[in-house]
Amino acid sequence: MKNAPIILIVEDDEGHAILIRQNLEAAGLSNRMEHFRDGQAVLDFFFPKAGAAARARGEVYLVLLDIRMPKVDGIEVLRRLKADAELRTMPVIMLTTTDDVREVERCHQLGCSVYIQKPVDYDRFAEAIRRLGLFVTLLLVPPLKGG
Amino acid sequence: MPLSDPSKLTNAELVARLRTNLAEREQFERERAGMLSELRDMKAALDEHSIVAITNAAGKITYVNDKFCAISQYSREELIGQDHRIINSRHHPKAFFQELWGTIVQGRVWHGEIRNRAKDGSLYWVDTTIFPRLNESGQPVHYVAIRTDITQRKTDEAELEQFARDLEEKNKELETIVYTVSHDLRSPLVNVQGFSKQLNRACEKIQAAAAGARDGLVPAADLKQPVEVAIPQALRFINAGVNRMEMLLAGLLRYSRLGRVALTIRPLDMDALLAEIVTAMSFQLGEAKAEVRVDPLPGCLGDSVQTNQVFSNLIDNALKYRDPARPLRLTVSGRIEAGQAVYVVADNGIGIAPEHQGKAFEIFHRLNPEAGAGEGLGLTIAQRVLERQRGRIWVESREGEGSTFFVSLPSGET
Repeated sequence: MKNAPIILIVEDDEGHAILIRQNLEAAGLSNRMEHFRDGQAVLDFFFPKAGAAARARGEVYLVLLDIRMPKVDGIEVLRRLKADAELRTMPVIMLTTTDDVREVERCHQLGCSVYIQKPVDYDRFAEAIRRLGLFVTLLLVPPLKGG
Repeated sequence: MPLSDPSKLTNAELVARLRTNLAEREQFERERAGMLSELRDMKAALDEHSIVAITNAAGKITYVNDKFCAISQYSREELIGQDHRIINSRHHPKAFFQELWGTIVQGRVWHGEIRNRAKDGSLYWVDTTIFPRLNESGQPVHYVAIRTDITQRKTDEAELEQFARDLEEKNKELETIVYTVSHDLRSPLVNVQGFSKQLNRACEKIQAAAAGARDGLVPAADLKQPVEVAIPQALRFINAGVNRMEMLLAGLLRYSRLGRVALTIRPLDMDALLAEIVTAMSFQLGEAKAEVRVDPLPGCLGDSVQTNQVFSNLIDNALKYRDPARPLRLTVSGRIEAGQAVYVVADNGIGIAPEHQGKAFEIFHRLNPEAGAGEGLGLTIAQRVLERQRGRIWVESREGEGSTFFVSLPSGET
């Protein structure tokens, strides 16, 4: 696939990150994946401080975002991404443990593409990730213009 | 009857007129007596129900009823000629009484609730109406003050407010617990179940290798991945998840028990309290080569165990989040500000970026999970403990320079 999106997994829990990655791969995704340990790290990637290396021009990204993280939480990351004229078109998938209705609503209001609850039941979790993999392959993702 | 010169009237006419006058006079007297009696009854009814006082235009008491004497505990003789300052409780600001006087000197009725002080120093609340009596030119000549004892109602109101506050606190606690269960407690479960599945797969691989083994010999290559990679990794995450859950449950219990611990609020000698903490932590402080300065501190009202916990947590945090590039410098100082004792715990540690400061007090939230052991409960507990003691905690910090935590508690000075 040309211009396959780079999947950014923003997840403070190392185990979750591994499980997500394994499942995406098991679902047949061969996209490049990168792992960020908290919200601040991914914000630094998209909004680099002067001189720092960051997102590449012309690349296509998709963000898998956990909500509860140290420093900056996923909701805040989502808000910042959606407030940026260029980044707002980038698909953001919230992948989190809570099914709190208010939080789901808030993410949708802020403009997340999909909200997926990390199920405790492993089969459901794997299924959710697999569907997500399918979804990702179907997603038309516009490349970033600038860096 | 037309008016005419009485000298021109006949005797009969004069008698008739006198009779009429007399009848009118009797009627008037009867009415007057009736009105007086009615007025007396009204006054008796008023005295039965209300606390009544009358003052002259200058505010000097000219009349008090029995109820006034009873509630104020002053005798009539002690009250007459005084003004109402004799029962002033100093509860209300000056502006309160200025507004009262401003209203009644203009001939308008004042209505409000006043807290007064009885002779023995006890306080009572009265719902008060002051009615100015005006002369013909509209100037007040005296003021009639009618009051009702509402001390009980005020006590009930205060109690109700306390209940509402307690309930609010309980709700907050419940919300925190629900939030934590739905977020934090689920998170390790995802790992436990996910990596258990990985264990299953590894077992299946080994079983398949064993089933396919010829001559009872399982090829080492088939075992390498499950035994060396998959199983150890799965066990590592499962163990970490279980430990995390155990820690979270213990933390939740600790947090929820805080709300049930009975507080003993009494004057605290903060100099002694801080000295005790510094002594108790002297080993860790010494190990970190920390320089600690505790200024003389004002006293406050609080629970000694809980307050000790707050400052221990703060100093522990300063140790935990010190900057490895320089020795820790820690100062504790204090001041009195608007009836509150404000304590300042300042360090030169790694600091907290402004955008992260709001989350510092969130339960199980850790700004730097890499910075060592901790459950993310210290500041949450400090905040909770202080709220229960009518105190507060907040932070000012610059990333890379240090953090300053402020703790306020009632000073106990009036």
